[in-house]
Amino acid sequence: MTGSLLLQSLILGVLLGGLYALLAAGLTLYFGVMRVVMIAHAAFLVLAAYLAWFANSRLGIDPLLTLVVTVPLFFGIGVLMQRLLIKRLRPATLTMMSVLLTFAIALFIEGLVGFVWGGTQRRIQLSYSSASIEIFGARIAVVKLIAFGLAALSLLALYLLMKHTRFGQALRATIQHPEAAQLVGIKTEGVAGLGFGLGLATAALGGTALSLDATIYPSLHWHWIGPLMAIIVVGGLGSIPGAAIAALVLGVGQSLLQVPLGTTWAQTIFYVALFVTLMVRPQGFFGGRLAQRF
Amino acid sequence: MAQPIRRTRGTSITRGRTLTAAAAAAVALTLTACAGGGGGGGGGEGDGESDDPIVIGISLPLTGDFSEPGKGVQRGYEAWAQIINDDGGLLGRQVELKILDDQSNADRVVADYEVLIAQDEVDLVFGPFSTRLVVPSARVAQEYGMLFVEPAGAAAEVFEQGFDNLFYAAPAIAQDHYNYLADEILAMPEGERPTTVAVASMDDPFAQGTAYGLRDKLEEGGLEIVVDEVYPPNTTDFSPIAAKIADSGADMVIGGTQYQDAVNLIVALQQLNYQPQLAAFSTAPTNPEFSEAIGSKTEGILSPTGYTPDATWPSNVDFVEKYTEIHGNPPGEDEANAYTTGQVVAAAVEAVGCAEQGDCQQQLIDWLRENEVDTVVGPLTWDETGKPQGAHLIQQYVDGAIEIVLPSETAEAELIFPKPAW
Repeated sequence: MTGSLLLQSLILGVLLGGLYALLAAGLTLYFGVMRVVMIAHAAFLVLAAYLAWFANSRLGIDPLLTLVVTVPLFFGIGVLMQRLLIKRLRPATLTMMSVLLTFAIALFIEGLVGFVWGGTQRRIQLSYSSASIEIFGARIAVVKLIAFGLAALSLLALYLLMKHTRFGQALRATIQHPEAAQLVGIKTEGVAGLGFGLGLATAALGGTALSLDATIYPSLHWHWIGPLMAIIVVGGLGSIPGAAIAALVLGVGQSLLQVPLGTTWAQTIFYVALFVTLMVRPQGFFGGRLAQRF
Repeated sequence: MAQPIRRTRGTSITRGRTLTAAAAAAVALTLTACAGGGGGGGGGEGDGESDDPIVIGISLPLTGDFSEPGKGVQRGYEAWAQIINDDGGLLGRQVELKILDDQSNADRVVADYEVLIAQDEVDLVFGPFSTRLVVPSARVAQEYGMLFVEPAGAAAEVFEQGFDNLFYAAPAIAQDHYNYLADEILAMPEGERPTTVAVASMDDPFAQGTAYGLRDKLEEGGLEIVVDEVYPPNTTDFSPIAAKIADSGADMVIGGTQYQDAVNLIVALQQLNYQPQLAAFSTAPTNPEFSEAIGSKTEGILSPTGYTPDATWPSNVDFVEKYTEIHGNPPGEDEANAYTTGQVVAAAVEAVGCAEQGDCQQQLIDWLRENEVDTVVGPLTWDETGKPQGAHLIQQYVDGAIEIVLPSETAEAELIFPKPAW
């Protein structure tokens, strides 16, 4: 491996890891707030990507502008989903039943997307799709940089929201100890709904970022949910910084492993990391088992 | 608490298995019964009710991985049926297509042909798209003794399965697609010709067949293979592969591609500002949407093609005119190969004078073994494995338009080497 290929792969890995980080952040949030395993997260991601593609190719709107619609829309869907569906699950079996419920939702979205836009692979074509910037002999594609920037900004916003607002404090209190949060007067039910909406809003952001430089098709979400689930376990369920760090490490790892091992085997890094985590440190490497700290 | 739950689960699993087994047995019985009835009934039908339409069973990947070319093949089949029906039909009978969607899934395609042949008792079958689906469906057709002419199973493995009922309706198999290009490159003087080659191919028998046919010929000729990558069919991120190719600085890049993977790989290579002297990609560049999909940055891209609408074979002039009338644009390679399939089967049916299940199928097979058929891709003959005896044309994007550049006797333009920046 030459030095320039190493640098190039490293940069590609960081760019990919940034996207993984945003997507995993949403996924870990659901679990942290509500102990819900949200299989449909990646399906919403694909749905957002399709909306961006549709706006761009059929209506001629820049894909980033679709965020104005999709982020509030997904937030609303998230709140409704929590209020109307998730809340009805019995607390004792919530985690297990949420897998079934969200699995069904994922299948429903996949079918819906296929029904409306067909099974054909789609890709957004922008005038700057193949443009790139040179840094120290490595090339960074403009679209990947935009996607990374979008992911980084969203993560920062999420972090500030969680750390420095009353809602964020309420959300974190709910994650840490729901009963205690109720005792100090936090309406944990309402907070959980908003937290779910927030998670789904990250799927809108992630899907739009993804659509800038990737091919999309209805069943693409199965390709994403596995690595994302592995990331949040490695990072420690419920821990957003843990998910972000694990995402970056595994994203870079995947990108670097692709050089000696090829595309097929590099994908296994997520599952190897998952096995190792469960054997060595089942609570995850960066957070408590259910995120004692944020 | 734990034990009752475990017991309940155990029971339900066992019950599930029993049910599956019972269902499988029932299906098997039904199929056997249908097959018996179908063979006998088909023979009688042909003699008595000759005004019935000839029903042709087809399964195509209309959704999933191969939906883009799958729909092209569908357009070709439907154009063939419409044109032949307007012309008075086959043996004086109208032709009716029965097309099922196999979702690009090999299990589905097997079930589809089982249903078409055994249950629907179609008179003839045409093949699906691409090797991964052609091999399992040809096996079904073989079991029922049906003639199986197919438009798109070009990988070598198709012809190594011992099928005695299969014919590939195109000029050449995958390994031979790039033969004219390989000859051209190896004929260049030592100092001028490319010396290093990067190869990336989808893990797919057809895609690998085309790329490796060229790779092996160039390697034998003394060129060095510096990158040789394989990626799974569901790959969407091509940046790492592109980084490897760009880093190698190879003079030439070969892509064993289908459609979307070529678009993604080329965009990723362009993002890294990799400028090879030659760039050859299978299948995708022959697709009408290709140019738009990569933002018209197609300059100099090479591709093998079994077909050009400008070819002067008599039936092709007629086909292009009528197809353009129906669809408003000239046919592509997938449409042409599908049409060719129709022509090959029609030639056999007209010569033998029958179209039904039973003995007729073997007569059709025997006739095709012995005879040459004039088609829109030129005259075709086959060896005993069903392999066509020809090579593909080589096309290149010149100033945004597709031109045939090799072989020189049918070329519309000169091969541009080295290729301009994309």
